[in-house]
Amino acid sequence: MTETLELAARALQAAEGDDALAFVHRERSGMARFAGSEVHQPTLIENESVELQIVRDGRLGVAAGNRTDDQGLRTLAARAAEAADSAPADPDFAGLAPPSDPPRVEGYDEETAALSAEDQAHLAAAAIDASDLDLYGFFTSGVTDLALASTTGLEASQSMTDAAVLALAAVDGASGYAEQTGWRLADIDPAAASERAVEKANRTRGAVELEPGSYRAVLEPPAFAELLTYFAYDAFGALGLIEERSYAYGRIGEKVFDERFSLADDSLDPRGLPKSFDFEGTPRQRVELVEDGVLRDVVWDRTSAKRAGDGRKTTGHAPPSSLRHWGPLAFSLSVAGGEVASTDELAEAVGDGIYVTRLHYLSIVNPRDGVITGMTRDGTFKIEGGKMTEPLVNLRFTVTVPELLAELPGLTRDPVLINASAYYDERYPQGTLAPAVATARFDVTGSGSGPGV
Amino acid sequence: MRELCEQAVAAALGAGASYADARAVLRRSQVVGTRNERVERLDDAESEGLGVRVLVDGAWGFACDRRLSAEGARAAAEKACAFARAAPGGHRRDLAHVEPAQAEFRTPFERDPFAVSLADKVEHCLRAERALKHDDVKVTAASVRAQREHKVFVSSDGAAIEQELVECGGGIDAMATRGDITQIRSYPSAHGGSSSQGGWEVVDALGLEREAPRVGEQAAALLQADPCPSGVMTLVIDAEQMELQVHESVGHPTELDRIYGTEAAYAGTSFLKPGDLGSLRYGSEHMNITADPTTPGGLGTFGFDDEGVPAAREAIVKEGILQGFLTSRETAAKIGSGSGGSMRADNWSRMPLVRMTNLHLEPGEGSLEELIEGAGDGVLIETNKSWSIDDKRLNFQFGTQIAWEITGGKLGRMLRDATYTGQTPVFWGSLDAVAGKEEWVLHGLTNCGKGQPGQHAHVSHGTSPARFRNVQVGFKA
Repeated sequence: MTETLELAARALQAAEGDDALAFVHRERSGMARFAGSEVHQPTLIENESVELQIVRDGRLGVAAGNRTDDQGLRTLAARAAEAADSAPADPDFAGLAPPSDPPRVEGYDEETAALSAEDQAHLAAAAIDASDLDLYGFFTSGVTDLALASTTGLEASQSMTDAAVLALAAVDGASGYAEQTGWRLADIDPAAASERAVEKANRTRGAVELEPGSYRAVLEPPAFAELLTYFAYDAFGALGLIEERSYAYGRIGEKVFDERFSLADDSLDPRGLPKSFDFEGTPRQRVELVEDGVLRDVVWDRTSAKRAGDGRKTTGHAPPSSLRHWGPLAFSLSVAGGEVASTDELAEAVGDGIYVTRLHYLSIVNPRDGVITGMTRDGTFKIEGGKMTEPLVNLRFTVTVPELLAELPGLTRDPVLINASAYYDERYPQGTLAPAVATARFDVTGSGSGPGV
Repeated sequence: MRELCEQAVAAALGAGASYADARAVLRRSQVVGTRNERVERLDDAESEGLGVRVLVDGAWGFACDRRLSAEGARAAAEKACAFARAAPGGHRRDLAHVEPAQAEFRTPFERDPFAVSLADKVEHCLRAERALKHDDVKVTAASVRAQREHKVFVSSDGAAIEQELVECGGGIDAMATRGDITQIRSYPSAHGGSSSQGGWEVVDALGLEREAPRVGEQAAALLQADPCPSGVMTLVIDAEQMELQVHESVGHPTELDRIYGTEAAYAGTSFLKPGDLGSLRYGSEHMNITADPTTPGGLGTFGFDDEGVPAAREAIVKEGILQGFLTSRETAAKIGSGSGGSMRADNWSRMPLVRMTNLHLEPGEGSLEELIEGAGDGVLIETNKSWSIDDKRLNFQFGTQIAWEITGGKLGRMLRDATYTGQTPVFWGSLDAVAGKEEWVLHGLTNCGKGQPGQHAHVSHGTSPARFRNVQVGFKA
């Protein structure tokens, strides 16, 4: 039995209720964050916390804490019990998950787990040393241990590693961006990311403005992944569907996107950041969200499946308690690759339009229609005659995502893992597998600042 | 906790640090949320630990440990020094002088929010939700929250400060749907309501149940409303949306760490330069912005920031001219002005960053009604719905939950799906009136994100409704 499972079992012993579930999270991570080619925010984190869910008379209470000695667990159990006693019975409560056999997944790498603070600092230095422009970003790696045990017989644990480098090469009037993420250090080359960022930055000098309008566009994987992540918050979760407020409501089974577009949520894929079970303890499943342009399904957890009441089953997408108001979430998006080898070929398919490296500060304007606004940054260019030409200032876009996905002249063949973690709260590695894409419609609604710092 | 912090600082100095500070934090928080009259969240969380920040040969290091023990304190200090040593900087880092304080600060409150039972909190939400009901409202939601943070700060300069900050808040949402149209109304703010420092009296004062019928009715009425027209026009913005306008287009760009580029890779930088201080015209003469961590009830109110700098009120923009930045001891030393005072960390496991405290738009004169009368033709907008701004804080676009047409200085029909966009200094330059102190409202938000690893800050903004001329309303596609 792992240490984290033992802790979950001890927490369960402290619980007094009809049923109980203990979820243990342990983190050991380091981040060497740099700016102007100097590490300025180096952060080492070690934490271990327990969330205890107690069911009494059909009512659920939750308490969390990071004091894991016996007294701390007794206090935790008393607070969870008080919470349960304070809630009215919930007719939609589906009970705790039954025993299951979560799939064995990859996602743990000894070399990554063994990285010390000194190693993390040296890997950051490798990125910095490879740049002849000022470099901004970070190198980070961490180990996340999860364990879950319940009185219903659940017992599961998983250890995950992750590592990422973010490189923004920037000076006054020029900036370029690159990133790499994975669960194996061997997949990360900080110097290569840095060199790519520099190469991109050097092409952004002398950026010009662009008239608002509808343009054909190429989106690199970081831009496409972030746009899909925001769209998925509402569009691909069961709660928005049940409440009749998401884009998916009334459209399941319809062909609403280009037939080249297929999207799944797949936590099991070893190319991503694999996860075995969700926050209810249910084994994770791959869910086909869009197949050949047809909207197929959304993701479910036990609560939403019971509320739907039509024989629905959980797909293993329960969020952590702190995000329960969002409902089940598709946080392991995976876009099927296309038939194009490179972004150069996508630019050829676009002909005249714009090229977007990265997005900034997205916001959902209208979830029912899938309208999202944001800015481009760190590598926006014109495409003229099928070639990337002069650099552009950062552009304000306001796109209706289904319109953007309605006509896709091409996607690159090999999806790339894009980091979706901002490392708020407790570490839980997340990423999106996305190719670069060409779209026939990207709506520019204004111009902002130029590239650079 | 003070003894542990002292041990951590001593261990850091022993390991080679030229400067060290330690913060021990005990944080307890409760969130109760109901949705369609079922309890959606009933969480009670506690977290404790100690974070140590060091300067070794001009390089920062930070490490933390959840164990409030001598072993945890020593381990965090030694790891912080080792990390700093492994990532040496290229030059020295100076810290502005601050008189080391031995002091205490506690949020005054009338009713301990943790003495209010969870059952009463659930009932508070359910009562408000029931009052939101309307035939076209498909989703009703209510939430209340409370947090208590007890922290001790000790520095190698000789500071030893103990603070207890208590805050509460809540909010309600009504979501109406008909056909392909979905509309939302919220009170007192969107995105989780509004919070203030204080006890449970803060939640009682919000009057969630009292306001709920209006909120539910407006959500339903929006289904019948016309879309807001596009064009360049006069815009009157309510106090709640002004909160976010100040936050995004004044608060973040005046953070001096952003100006020096340390947030470039994530949150972004700023269109401002250090040399703009005292000369840059940020907006019209009606624009007066103040940073004030002494504001009663503000989420950014404290006795001392997380570097031990005492709270002080400071002008950021005066009559439209940039007068101040939000600073740390390090950034204040760079510009040779002030001693910081805006450094705040999210709990014990994060390094302090330059953050907003309470950033206010100072009131002008007159009422909202007078702003509308003086508008001639235009639009009044209320309550944020979407928000986005570029990495230098120049180009912004906001959407609001509700709007009203203004014709001949009178409010007309209700409008939906309003957005407006602008360039920060141009927009603030078009400010031609701010309503008076009778209309001034303090809002508190808890989701201000910054830093890597990410940190949430709790900040407040006091604002009155304001009027802007020649604003682009709607998209320009």
